Amino acid sequence: MWNKRRLIASCCFLAGLVMAGTTVRPRAAANDREFTQAERQFWSLQKVAVVAPPAVRQRQWVRTPVDAFIAAKLESHGLTPASNADRITLLRRAYLDLIGLPPAPDAVAAFLADQSPDAFAKVVDRLLASPQYGERWGRHWLDLARYAESEGFKADETRPNAWRYRDYVINAFNADKPYDRFVREQLAGDELWPGDPDARIATAFNRHYPDESNARNLLQRRQEILDDVTDTVGAVFLGMTYGCARCHNHKFDPILQKDYYRLQAFFANMRADDNILLAPAHEVERHRTRLAEWEEKTRAIRERIEALEAPKRQELLDDFVTKYPPEIQAAIAKMPAERTPIDWLMYYKAKPYIDPASHEFVATSRAVGNALKGDAKKAWQAAKAELEVFADLYPGEPAIGTGIVDAGRSAPPTHTLRLGVYDRKVEPVEPGFLTILAPGDATIALPAGVESTGRRTALANWIASPDNPLTARVMVNRIWHYHFGRGLVATPSNFGAAGERPSHPELLDWLASEFVRQGWSVKAMHRLIMNSHVYQQASAVDAPGAAALDSQNALLWRFPRHRLEGEAIRDAALAVAGELNPAIGGPSVFPELPPGMASRGGWKTSEGADRNRRSVYVFVRRNTRYPMFESFDMPDTHESCPRRDVTTSPIQALTMMNSAPVMEWAQGLAARVLDGGRANREAQIALAYKLAYSRPPTPEESKIAFDFLQRHREILAARARSGGKLAGAGALPDGVDAVDAATLVDFCHMLINSNEFVYIN
Amino acid sequence: MRIPHFVNVSSRREFLSRAGAGFGAIAFNYLLAQEGLFAAEAAGAAPAPHHTPRAKSIIWLFMEGGPSHLDLFDPKPMLDKMAGQPLPASFGRPITAMGTASNELMPSKRQWKRHGQSGLWVSDWYPEIAQHVDDMAIFQGCWADGLNHVGSVCQMNTGSILAGRPSMGAWVTYGLGTANENLPTFVILTDAGEVLGGPKNWSAGFLPASYQGTLLRREGTPIFHLAPPETVGDAQQRSKLDFLATLNRRFNAANSGDSDLDARLQSYELAYRMQSAAPEAIDLAKESDATRKLYGIDEPETEKFGTNCLLARRFVERGVRFIQLYSGSGSGWDAHENIEANHSKMCRQTDRPIAGLLTDLKARGLLDSTLVVWGGEFGRTPFNEKGTGRDHNPWGFTIWMAGGGIKGGQAIGATDEIGMKAVDVPCHVHDVHATILHLLGLNHKQLVYPHNGRDERPTIVGGRVITSALA
Repeated sequence: MWNKRRLIASCCFLAGLVMAGTTVRPRAAANDREFTQAERQFWSLQKVAVVAPPAVRQRQWVRTPVDAFIAAKLESHGLTPASNADRITLLRRAYLDLIGLPPAPDAVAAFLADQSPDAFAKVVDRLLASPQYGERWGRHWLDLARYAESEGFKADETRPNAWRYRDYVINAFNADKPYDRFVREQLAGDELWPGDPDARIATAFNRHYPDESNARNLLQRRQEILDDVTDTVGAVFLGMTYGCARCHNHKFDPILQKDYYRLQAFFANMRADDNILLAPAHEVERHRTRLAEWEEKTRAIRERIEALEAPKRQELLDDFVTKYPPEIQAAIAKMPAERTPIDWLMYYKAKPYIDPASHEFVATSRAVGNALKGDAKKAWQAAKAELEVFADLYPGEPAIGTGIVDAGRSAPPTHTLRLGVYDRKVEPVEPGFLTILAPGDATIALPAGVESTGRRTALANWIASPDNPLTARVMVNRIWHYHFGRGLVATPSNFGAAGERPSHPELLDWLASEFVRQGWSVKAMHRLIMNSHVYQQASAVDAPGAAALDSQNALLWRFPRHRLEGEAIRDAALAVAGELNPAIGGPSVFPELPPGMASRGGWKTSEGADRNRRSVYVFVRRNTRYPMFESFDMPDTHESCPRRDVTTSPIQALTMMNSAPVMEWAQGLAARVLDGGRANREAQIALAYKLAYSRPPTPEESKIAFDFLQRHREILAARARSGGKLAGAGALPDGVDAVDAATLVDFCHMLINSNEFVYIN
Repeated sequence: MRIPHFVNVSSRREFLSRAGAGFGAIAFNYLLAQEGLFAAEAAGAAPAPHHTPRAKSIIWLFMEGGPSHLDLFDPKPMLDKMAGQPLPASFGRPITAMGTASNELMPSKRQWKRHGQSGLWVSDWYPEIAQHVDDMAIFQGCWADGLNHVGSVCQMNTGSILAGRPSMGAWVTYGLGTANENLPTFVILTDAGEVLGGPKNWSAGFLPASYQGTLLRREGTPIFHLAPPETVGDAQQRSKLDFLATLNRRFNAANSGDSDLDARLQSYELAYRMQSAAPEAIDLAKESDATRKLYGIDEPETEKFGTNCLLARRFVERGVRFIQLYSGSGSGWDAHENIEANHSKMCRQTDRPIAGLLTDLKARGLLDSTLVVWGGEFGRTPFNEKGTGRDHNPWGFTIWMAGGGIKGGQAIGATDEIGMKAVDVPCHVHDVHATILHLLGLNHKQLVYPHNGRDERPTIVGGRVITSALA
């Protein structure tokens, strides 16, 4: 039922950007205030309770402690759990859930043949051990991390090494990296494990903010980035809507405006580091040697080019730098010894654009060359051609990663900001946690051997502590959410007063304790949940009374059916077509775009099998999502997404029925069905069902399909007679003609389009 | 039964986020009509206006890049007098996009005349639009927050200079649902490049994704995948979809209790209908030569925007609610230098098409129920850039509206004597949005959607309806 408290007009996320004249003017300062008793007792801020699984009547239904909590709740509402899902449905559910791909017919046969009591547990173990698991669950985390491979804003430039973070996440899930370590690496890997490339790449979690390369007011830009980081960290790790407290004390939760800036202060000295050297020392050395060789051989040519370029380059650079406000220009121009911490941050923010070694450099040789004219241009082109002769000797770029670091050991002061406006400072604050939980300033130690403040380490340690009431609860709830399509707390990034209350608070606490007890192992949580009876129920409604009592199925009296994401639909279809390229990791790929896609935001399609890599490897352009994924609710990457929308639209239908890739997958599936010389129509139908649905058709279904093929063949035969083009399906066995094959393609096409294919049942 | 927006939004949201609106809402209506399903939820779920709408549709003529109010609708004799002087110290030193604030003031080279019964000023750059001033309310005191194009275009569409919020078209679709069975409710047409910032300008933001606008393509297919593959004929497609419906119906029957299964079944039928309805809507073959001439389709310079204006009228006739036409998409109006050449061209491209649209709508009796909005993401500065251009000016600029509930023949608000800042009846972007929503029958404060713990609304924390604009 709709709750009245939500009707109160509340926080003004963006008022801070307004220069003057908003109609609502919250009071300026972050006022300290007393917390009420109710706030102090608010459920998510209490220590995780030690709870024992309750005793229940239906003991035979209880397979794990999880089931005891579920059964107790059902019993108290007079509900009974649904019957068991049939074994194939359960197997397919586990496959789609854990690896995002349907089981192949031999996997189904093996499972059906295994009558041991732990047959399903073994499947879960096997799936968790497969590399496809990380590809599936890593994608969930990327939603939270607002992961994208481009800047956003006007130019939406590519971030060439962002994909390394995607691989880091996939590997972390596959390795079952303990979640507390996962948190620490992403928040402060550079301070805690500076020598570990993985930990450095992990810090890119806070590098995925949208950014604008032609921003002039870098102080304001810095504030917008800090706001993004503060909102994201608060929501993802703590499940707290810190963002509501940017301009005033939170309207519902005990988050002071001061707390917003206390959290932000941990990041006050943060800057992007897009040059993290990943290669081991000896490789770096080898690269350096080869580069020196190339430099030696090309010195004369490069000097000539440089002489031609220098004046124009200076012009471009001057033009760029003078567009900054005077104080930014001054910070850039200062001698290092004179720079204050904020000067350093301004310098580092501008540096990529004025540093020849950076990808964002505004006066690259190409840019300068384009700007040259007349004889200078001709001479430049000739010299470039000479240089090209030595291209084979050029060792290329060393492997580098992107992430964040601190700009030095002292951070600029952080203030609460009136209305969140970057230059309306109200009062200074020090790094600190939620006042209601920890009122004092955070204790921060300067890290040894790193030019860093140590602030983020302090934050990471507080968040990744077993004593933090939010961290473990929030993460186990996310895991639950992805398994069931709905969390025990239905608002996974809002554990505050305006969020949903947990449907099973004791279970949430028990799981959170268990998570910590089992070494923050995410895979242990998967095992626990999937081996529970609640996960193994049927999804069909076999008790109409339950639907009337709990239409949302919050009490889990059946397994909640949910639709696959666009990425998973594509992966599953590629798999059943036999066309999925299972290669793991590496730079992103560029599958086919719809005809009519504009050039901006478009791309050159990858060649060969790269087109058919898993969807998690498809390039993520912030301003233009891959159209098929977008139509199936892939979230906007401008902010963290804890729960995807699930919409149904004719645009999806048009994509599925008319786009070339889906048709191609249907052809692939048809070719597999025909492979091995199957001319018998019943056998074709049976195999198509097994490949697409993981099950054989019932006799009735087989008959319906048979009749369709019969009827449809007539239509296609007429089409062929009148010279219409038919879809092919690989090599044709004896007794199968082109019309038969095209008929089968259409049949397979509709299987891929069907509800049974795109839902986890 | 009319239900206010804030009652029982939770179940409505749950329902809509599964069935979707926009296209999905069509599915929803279709379900109601065809299957009689969800009767209990229907009363709470069917979108309804908050008050009687004055306009059924909106055509938003978006002059992307920032047209100069100082050279079009907001004459400043004082600017001519002060030509060559610096910006008076009383204005402070604004941070501008190109750091031009210490440049000299630049007069307008335009010839100005009063027009119509109302005697409103329009420059000689817009001679044909000038004939319609008696239908127009000219908001001369508009202001916005962003300095750069991306943020400002984004704000004019979503209320915020940062991406991620729903666009007005998405809010309107959410609030009112669809008024046609075979076409999208919110469409966007462009005439040149990509709109800066791209789809986030017509995004559903945190609303369910199906509320997003549908960008019609400038060339090729207007909607992705609207045409079946070349290996699929109509009878063949119908046969396939019938088989698919059989598969889905059997599956859904065995798995009752999930309404989205049925919504998905119906979405294929809608997609099927769109394949023929959308091409029909955009086929101008049956429009007369006189009509084409009216919109300037017979002249190369006005052909593109004129075509889009004519398409807009056809969409209005077919019940499309929210139509956005970009002129100079990709920042075509961005006259940092040589504003004479730039604006002469952009004005020629749009003057006849827009005048033709107003004439045509009126002749067909559609203007009363169609709100036409003209404007950019900001205006331009009174001081020069590079001697011949003007920089971005979000502090004061002009938007006008006509038709659908607007009291024409009036100027509302004003900028200062040199056109730098809005000083009288300042009309923020949120106020523009509140007014538009009001005319469409929606109260901007009641149109809410819960997101991250807040009831978000289109105007964020601001917005007031400019009541003097209302007829």
